[in-house]
This record gives sequence, structure tokens and C-alpha cells, in this order.
Amino acid sequence: MKGKLFLLLLAMMVIASPAFAQEAVAGPRPAINITSGLAMAIASGLCALAQGKAVASSAEAIARNPGAGGAIRGALLLGLVLIESLALYTLVIIFAGV
Amino acid sequence: MEQHHELWITSVFNTYLAGVGNGILGLFGQHAHDPAKPWANFMTMQILTALLVIVIFALLRGRLSMDKPGKMQHIFETFYTFLHDQAEEAAGHGGTKYLAFFGTLFFFILFCNLIGIIPGLESPTMFPAVTLGCAIAAFLYYNIVGVQAVGLGHYLKHFVGPMPMLAPLMIPIEIVSHFARPLSLTIRLYANMLAGEKVTLVFLGLTYFVAPAVFMGLHVFVAFLQAYVFTVLTMMYVGGATAHEH
Repeated sequence: MKGKLFLLLLAMMVIASPAFAQEAVAGPRPAINITSGLAMAIASGLCALAQGKAVASSAEAIARNPGAGGAIRGALLLGLVLIESLALYTLVIIFAGV
Repeated sequence: MEQHHELWITSVFNTYLAGVGNGILGLFGQHAHDPAKPWANFMTMQILTALLVIVIFALLRGRLSMDKPGKMQHIFETFYTFLHDQAEEAAGHGGTKYLAFFGTLFFFILFCNLIGIIPGLESPTMFPAVTLGCAIAAFLYYNIVGVQAVGLGHYLKHFVGPMPMLAPLMIPIEIVSHFARPLSLTIRLYANMLAGEKVTLVFLGLTYFVAPAVFMGLHVFVAFLQAYVFTVLTMMYVGGATAHEH
């Protein structure tokens, strides 16, 4: 599973390499447009997986120990926001016009 | 980045206070793109937010009472206890000494985030310059407070790490991670606010009225959450900087 993921990423980077050949060109830049979309999709997908894991384990922890619900909820919220910010860094790069 | 159209407040500032604006920019050796319009939207919105915060707290101060607390006092007491408990938990032992700064940061960022929902006004925190200012303020604050609390020599020992042998490895890592903190604070707040507005605009173009309202509701929740996270992270940095090792 991990090997396949790595190969997929490598293939995408190869597809994206024509982008490096361009200088700052105004007008249609299809390679950059495609890779921006793909980058955001990958970032959002991985972010969703990580947040799902965080929510799953905190829901289980609250179920086991309802008294610690407040502390767990605090940790969950902080964790979710920090993971979210990683996907947003990708969004910022897209808008910074790379 | 596309040009934002000028708000009514900004146009008032530019009509009457253009000289003041150019003067202030000149103090720092900067020139406006368009000398007739030195005030940017985010500057006037920040000034409006700061005035709003001052006015609300001045009103609150007048209405505080031990015997018959009013609604406003209840609301702000809730905020205060919440921030106080977070400071005790996140900033460690002496954390509540710095509650004034944390509270100011929290309310300023919260009001800046929320003011964008009102039509005709926009969030200054949508612009990276504003969030960078808040992040640099937090960065300088936790460093200065750390040096004040434990002394310069002991504070610099934090950078060296647990063993003196690891120092050449630890020092660059620690320096990079310390500079990554204001950078991540900036981008997190800026990207969240920008994404909220862009999503609302996109859905406004696609479907009218219902979907944008849902996203604006999400944006309100995100505004509170981002203000809270900025403040809690600053508290954790202050806690890490002022940690006394017994």
C-alpha cells in the first residue's frame, strides 16, 4: 500500500515537471493549473484522513471516560485546527501564484 | 491578488485624511501606490475594530456591579473565566500574569474576524499583512516575557537542548522552529479567513441565498475557533518560554 502511494506521487511529480520549464508567463498555463488542482486535492484528502483519525480516537476516548470529556474536547479542537492549517498552507501557495 | 474595491469608510478616510496617511507612510520611508488613496481597506477596518473594542470595554467597565450583574457582565465574565482557565492550563504556572495580553489578542482577532460578516465591512485579517502584525506581536511578546521571567542566559539555554553535546544540531533546529511559529500563526489565520470569504463568494455565484448563508455560518464558527487557537498557541509559547526548570 505504501509502495503504491509512493509510486503514484512520483508519477505525479514527473507529470508536473514541465512546469519548471516555464518562466513567469502570463496567459494560459495549463500545467500549473492542473498541478494546483491536484496539489489541493491531495492536501485536502490527506488532511481529511488525519482529521478522521483524530475524531475517531477522541470519540472513543470520550466513550471510555465521559468525565474527561472537557479535556478531550479541548485537545480534539486544537488538533483539528492544527491539521486543517496544513491543508490551508497548500491553498495559500496556489493563490500566491506559483 | 485582485484589487478589492474601496469600502465607504476607506473612501471617507482617503477624502479627508489622505495627508495624514501619506505622512504616516513617509515616517517609515514608504510610499503609497496611489498618493491620492494612501489608506487601504484593512487599515481603516483595523482602526474601526480597535475603536469598537475600546468602546465596548469602556461601556462594560461602567456597568460592572457586584450586587446586580447585568447581561453584559455575565457574557464577559464567561469569556474571562474561559481565558483564565486556558491560561492556567496552557501557559503553565505563572500563566495568568500575562492574561491581559492574551485577552487583548483574543478580542482583537475575534472582532477583526467577525466584522467581515457585516455587509459593507470586511475582515482585516483576510490580509496577510494584518495577521503577520499580530503574529510578530505575539512572537516579540513571548520572547521578551521569557527573557524577563528566567533571565537571558537561562532563556538561551532552551535553544541548546538537553545535552551540550547536541548543541550544534539543536541550535539550528530550535531557531528554525522558533521562526516557524509566527509564520504558521500568520498563514493559519489569513488562509482561514480568506478561504471563508472565497467559498461564500463562489457559492454566491453558483446558488443564490441558501448555500452562501450556510457557509457564512461556518465562517462565524471558524472565526471564533481561529481567534481561540491563535490565543492558545501564544499561551503555549509563553508557557514554554517562561518554564522554570526546578
